[in-house]
Amino acid sequence: MEYLWEGIQEAIRLIISVDNEVCRTVLLSLRISLTATLLASILGIPVGFLIGTREFFLKRPVITFFNTLLSLPTVVVGLFLYSLLSKRGPLGLLDLLFTPSAMVLGQFILAIPIIVALTISAIQALDPRVTWTAMTLGAGPVRTAMAVLSEARFALTGAVIAGFGRVIAEVGAAMMVGGNIKGYTRIMTTAIALETAKGEFAFALSLGFILLIVAFSVNILFHYFQGKRG
Amino acid sequence: MASLLELRDITKSYNNTRVLAIPHLVLKQGAVYGIMGPNGAGKTTLLSIVALLLPPTSGTMYWEGANIATMDRNQLRRKVTLINQNPYLFNTTVEKNVSYGLKMRGIKREQRRERVKACLDLVGLPGFAKRMARELSGGEAQRVAIARALALDPQVLLLDEPTANVDRHGVEQIEIILRELKEKLGITIIVATHDVNQVHRLSDEVIYLFDGMISAAPLENLFQGRIVKKEKDLLLFDTGRIQVALPRERDSVSRIAIPPGDIIVSHNPISTSARNSFAGTIAHVIDEGDLVSLIVDVGEKLRVKITKRSFQEMQLNLGSPVYVTFKSSSIKTF
Repeated sequence: MEYLWEGIQEAIRLIISVDNEVCRTVLLSLRISLTATLLASILGIPVGFLIGTREFFLKRPVITFFNTLLSLPTVVVGLFLYSLLSKRGPLGLLDLLFTPSAMVLGQFILAIPIIVALTISAIQALDPRVTWTAMTLGAGPVRTAMAVLSEARFALTGAVIAGFGRVIAEVGAAMMVGGNIKGYTRIMTTAIALETAKGEFAFALSLGFILLIVAFSVNILFHYFQGKRG
Repeated sequence: MASLLELRDITKSYNNTRVLAIPHLVLKQGAVYGIMGPNGAGKTTLLSIVALLLPPTSGTMYWEGANIATMDRNQLRRKVTLINQNPYLFNTTVEKNVSYGLKMRGIKREQRRERVKACLDLVGLPGFAKRMARELSGGEAQRVAIARALALDPQVLLLDEPTANVDRHGVEQIEIILRELKEKLGITIIVATHDVNQVHRLSDEVIYLFDGMISAAPLENLFQGRIVKKEKDLLLFDTGRIQVALPRERDSVSRIAIPPGDIIVSHNPISTSARNSFAGTIAHVIDEGDLVSLIVDVGEKLRVKITKRSFQEMQLNLGSPVYVTFKSSSIKTF
């Protein structure tokens, strides 16, 4: 019990004293996850919009496909990317394995299904009169699409936050394609896994606290925007 | 007044079912038209065609005498604005809603702001610019929708049931606004409604639609129901409240109309060949000059027209018990 109590005290001290190592790990985590979420949003929102607004053959199966990908295991994404990026893999020449770029790529793949699936549901839940109203007021196809996205903005923000929430907390893909190299690809989740194994309980715990705070904040934000969409 | 829009031989069909057939209709500059008719009569279809949002199945439309097929539809569409029964307001401020169409037309911010202010004043909502559209009442939202349409300076304003989702106070305000628009701006206004009183309060001319066709006079005492009994030369039609005998001219009837002038009012039951006779009380009396309209409650409310002289001779009053009698052959069936 004493061991746990000392760990917590040391963790709080590390956070309050703005420990260099803790800071660097947290900032790298945020940088990688935010970049991945941003890239996934740039691709995912337009794709979700198109799927949500257009009628096409196999629309249902496509939506089901994205919904299924929501539960994509992170380790499988890691394994898949590892096989692609390793020296003998088809993308080995890019020399991306064990770099932050590879981690961004892994998290991008994890975030895409969430952002696409939630964008589709946001667009489909939207009042059908939006399109008609924008058109009667003289909007062309692009401006009409902008009006639809604007009306769905709260739900879309929710989609982006949910995507971020998934990637900031994942460990499998980051560990496999990042390699957990100190000061280079070590992020909060991989550091927690390693430091706990090493017995550096306080350091792991301080990162755990920060990760929890980030996860809570993300959830609060998500529910705030989901609540506003009504 | 000059003819602004003319419809010739316009029809609209869905899956070979004709829902609208207008041989000829002229809409004049600056006039207010009321379109009346029961649900499903084709009011919304007619409005959508006039708004150039729905192409007719056949027929020709003329704008100021020129065939619109030869004109730029998008340009024309900007001159005609349709406001839905339940208009959609964007989830932002009133100002952004009203200025949306102006922004689409590339009008500068300063001009937009002035125009928004002027339009909000016109609909009696000065100072509402910064309010959130979603926080408005039904009547206020409808007025913002009118302001948004007016901002585009349309020549024709079409309103589909503008007061359907509005409380009584809101209804009055919207009617006042529509009258002012006609006087101040001289635009052509077409209002579809099924409120008889409203249509007469607002319109210069009333267009009665029934089953997709313009009917010369309004169909009164119109009831929906079904045939409950078939005899050799007679059908029994049940409205849910009363049963009416019809001549057996056709086997499927879903609606009937009883012309108010064909109904006889008497103090006592009369023995005639007329098949339909009901006891009721006078629920409402409307003076119409030489004629008097009575609303007689016989289970359904029947409108009956009699001369003022008979009204006085019979000494009828509100609440008087009377008998109403009409021949089955005078009933219009649909």
